[in-house]
Amino acid sequence: MPRKVCIVGGATTPFDYGPTGFESIEGGAAECIKETQKDIPDFSMRDLDLMIYSHFSVHFGHQLCSEWIIHDHLGLVGVPHYRVENGGNTGGSALYAASLAVMSGHHDAVGVVGWETMDSVSQSQGSEFIALASDIRYELLVGGIYPIYYAAMANKWMKDNNVSEEDVATIGAKNRNNAMDNPKAQWYRNEHKYITADDVMNSRLISYPIKKYDCCLMSRGVAFVLVCSEEYAKKINPDGYVTIDGMGLSSCTIRAGDRLNFPGWTERYGKGYPGMTEFGACRNAADQAYKMAGIKNPRKEIDFGEIHDAFSTSEAQIYKALYLADENNIAQFLRDESTHMHGEIPMNPGGGLMGYGHPVGATGLMSTIECFYQLSDMIPKKHLSRKTEVADAECGIVNSHAGTGTSISNFILRRC
Amino acid sequence: MGGETITRKKKKFAKEPNFTEKKTYRPEGVKETGLAFIGHEISEDGNTMNQFLHYDQLYTIRHGWNSKFFKGLLEGKIWGTKCPKCGDTWVPVRTHCWNLDCNLEKTEWVEMPLTAKVHTWTIAGWSGRSSLKRLPIVLVYAVIGDSKVAIANELHGIDSWDAEFGMPLKIVFKPKGERSGIITDFHFEPTNDWKPSPTNEEKERIKQLVEPVYEWVKTLK
Ligand SMILES: [Zn+2]
Repeated sequence: MPRKVCIVGGATTPFDYGPTGFESIEGGAAECIKETQKDIPDFSMRDLDLMIYSHFSVHFGHQLCSEWIIHDHLGLVGVPHYRVENGGNTGGSALYAASLAVMSGHHDAVGVVGWETMDSVSQSQGSEFIALASDIRYELLVGGIYPIYYAAMANKWMKDNNVSEEDVATIGAKNRNNAMDNPKAQWYRNEHKYITADDVMNSRLISYPIKKYDCCLMSRGVAFVLVCSEEYAKKINPDGYVTIDGMGLSSCTIRAGDRLNFPGWTERYGKGYPGMTEFGACRNAADQAYKMAGIKNPRKEIDFGEIHDAFSTSEAQIYKALYLADENNIAQFLRDESTHMHGEIPMNPGGGLMGYGHPVGATGLMSTIECFYQLSDMIPKKHLSRKTEVADAECGIVNSHAGTGTSISNFILRRC
Repeated sequence: MGGETITRKKKKFAKEPNFTEKKTYRPEGVKETGLAFIGHEISEDGNTMNQFLHYDQLYTIRHGWNSKFFKGLLEGKIWGTKCPKCGDTWVPVRTHCWNLDCNLEKTEWVEMPLTAKVHTWTIAGWSGRSSLKRLPIVLVYAVIGDSKVAIANELHGIDSWDAEFGMPLKIVFKPKGERSGIITDFHFEPTNDWKPSPTNEEKERIKQLVEPVYEWVKTLK
């Protein structure tokens, strides 16, 4: 029986595009760890026996092996370290790697540090850099950027599922509004206003059916999560730790057009799935995580989630991939505001990528941290109000997502 | 000690290409000057400093076994590949079959028809910095011939709001002299007999979204 994996703490720097006062990545990492130590004073740097670094792109970092700069700055020479990179799912994949390390029994206290410094280039150059994670031989400069590929997938998905532009616009408004009392969130730090689905509908066209407020932002930010064995968790945070009861990681094609008839999918889910509209890797990763956590009815058994809302459309697609709704009821699921704070399964109470921000290597860790805060009753301490607290939550899902759905991980976290 | 060239024939595994036909189309002013710090800024309170690092770099994309596809673009042809075992066909190409039962069977080249069908579509109103002036762009994923996959490219010759699922397309290449052996050497256009469907609520909505994009592009220098 593999060992139980726990999360005992974590924190992020403020997320923003431009100056935050936390500009140096090694300084930001140190401050995230110090905030974690404030929450769990018994956690000592000397406890760390493995460091996993979560960082997407050298194009934003202008520094090869920038994890080496952070690592020795933290005073951790001699402690093993390596970097995990997996596109937008870098954070989730780093958490997966840390969990495996603890599960194996080889490590007890694994620090995961994630970051991205996307404001080192202009937004439009940044979009083009991200497009270097498409198959550039066939897709670079064809349209040009990721939101366009997502829009093409979403356009057909919405038609196939009778989901309207207004239906998904509610998600763009929801996540920004959830970030209104979250002081580290990019939306809080900048526009900081409550918006409606109409505001999303009236924002400028990015790629039909996606508008500006359907999209996440580019960010600078650093995050830290402490992953550990249950023995260690009981020692330093006996009342506030959270267990990772299920996890799954799966993969799909780099080019979205290649998943129409992929034999590996036909074999698993039958002909026609996922096509260009569904996130097959998300479903597959959910199947693994649910099985491991013993979840039979996710909509009933999961209380909330922190998921990868790079676009409001993809958040809706993820609901379906996670079995929260199917083609017959997804539109109604959205119209019922089921994932709003007052709904049956709130999604992205922390603000998500659209509200909190998306510094790629830190993003999946940010989602993990927000989920951890909910399950350890720390929301009143970390947010400015209890509006985004999911009261008495027992079980949350964390989702991290890359490419056009090319790599996806899901984690089931439970209160200890 | 050393100094003697070993002339024995080395094991090569494959014939190495010798490049004899070369073309460059780099714009004026692109120089590979290497890494350079080219400026800095300091905050008003004197506490924070930013430094500007510049480099421009030429990369060589070696297409290797995929070359026939890109060379085909120069010639106005679309090459696909086909698995001799299971018969699956692809554009974009695969040099080895994706079917695990075919055990990475090497595929064969097949010339594809210059016709396709729209699988899905979108209208871009924003893009990367090198594409901004071409907005709005209709992007489609379309299936060429009996390909098992869809390929992304632009759809021209249409009012953006008239794009439709399943619409029949032809592949149109740029004039020969303007081709670079890259994917944008061709685009899609509706087939000659295709007619747009009458206007509807969605088309009106798209018009409303796209009109400001046309205006905004006019303001770009
Ligand atoms: Zn085959």
